[in-house]
Amino acid sequence: MQDRVTKLFKAIADPTRREIFNALIFTTVAMPISQIANQFSISRQGVTKHIKILENADLVSIKTIGRERFCNANAKPLKEINKWLGFYQQFWDDSLQSLGTYLDTNKT
Amino acid sequence: MNDVITKEAIFNHHIDKVWNAISIAEEISKWFIKANFKAEKGYKYSFEASEEKGCLTINGEVKEADPYLLVYTWVVENTEVETTVSWQLEPTEQGTKLTLKHSGISNYSGETAIKMFESFSGGWNGCINQLTDYLKINANAR
Repeated sequence: MQDRVTKLFKAIADPTRREIFNALIFTTVAMPISQIANQFSISRQGVTKHIKILENADLVSIKTIGRERFCNANAKPLKEINKWLGFYQQFWDDSLQSLGTYLDTNKT
Repeated sequence: MNDVITKEAIFNHHIDKVWNAISIAEEISKWFIKANFKAEKGYKYSFEASEEKGCLTINGEVKEADPYLLVYTWVVENTEVETTVSWQLEPTEQGTKLTLKHSGISNYSGETAIKMFESFSGGWNGCINQLTDYLKINANAR
């Protein structure tokens, strides 16, 4: 699970990748890599590199149709990050419980 | 994604007792984390637990320390992300209401988050178990 989260964070750490991912989420239909490259005015090679990293984190799936590769965004793994951020929720819950117990046992 | 974690708790204890528990180093060290702390504006505090337990050091600066509002920045060692923790106490009929706010959580991203995640996965659980054990021993002794 840690590996997955690490990959996820690596994938979304780059602003260009975040933009590509957002664009794919908003279009909701599969987008060919050439079109993504046009939209972001970066080389096809550059886009392919970013897409690979996103794919590696399960944020994008690629389907090859004819000579073109189509990309689809998948937001599900982001829930994992949300869960991760929930760490502090748990941390503070536990801490406040400890504080309560401490106050109850310390009668001075 | 919500950037502020807010927790509320009611304690059946006098507000000054709760205030002492959250603002005096000796007491913080008993229920929370080993603290080098003074409730003075500008004080650079540190919270730490022993290395062998795999726990982290938290550093920060006290921003507000007027009864009954305590605010400090919260920086996890080896990261550069600053978040803010505030403790607000209000007297109620039954005792004291605590409102805890931890803001800036979304600042943890990318590499910082990876580092923190890796440290935390072994870290906090150890700390919290330690604390729970301490409280149990303490409760049994009384």
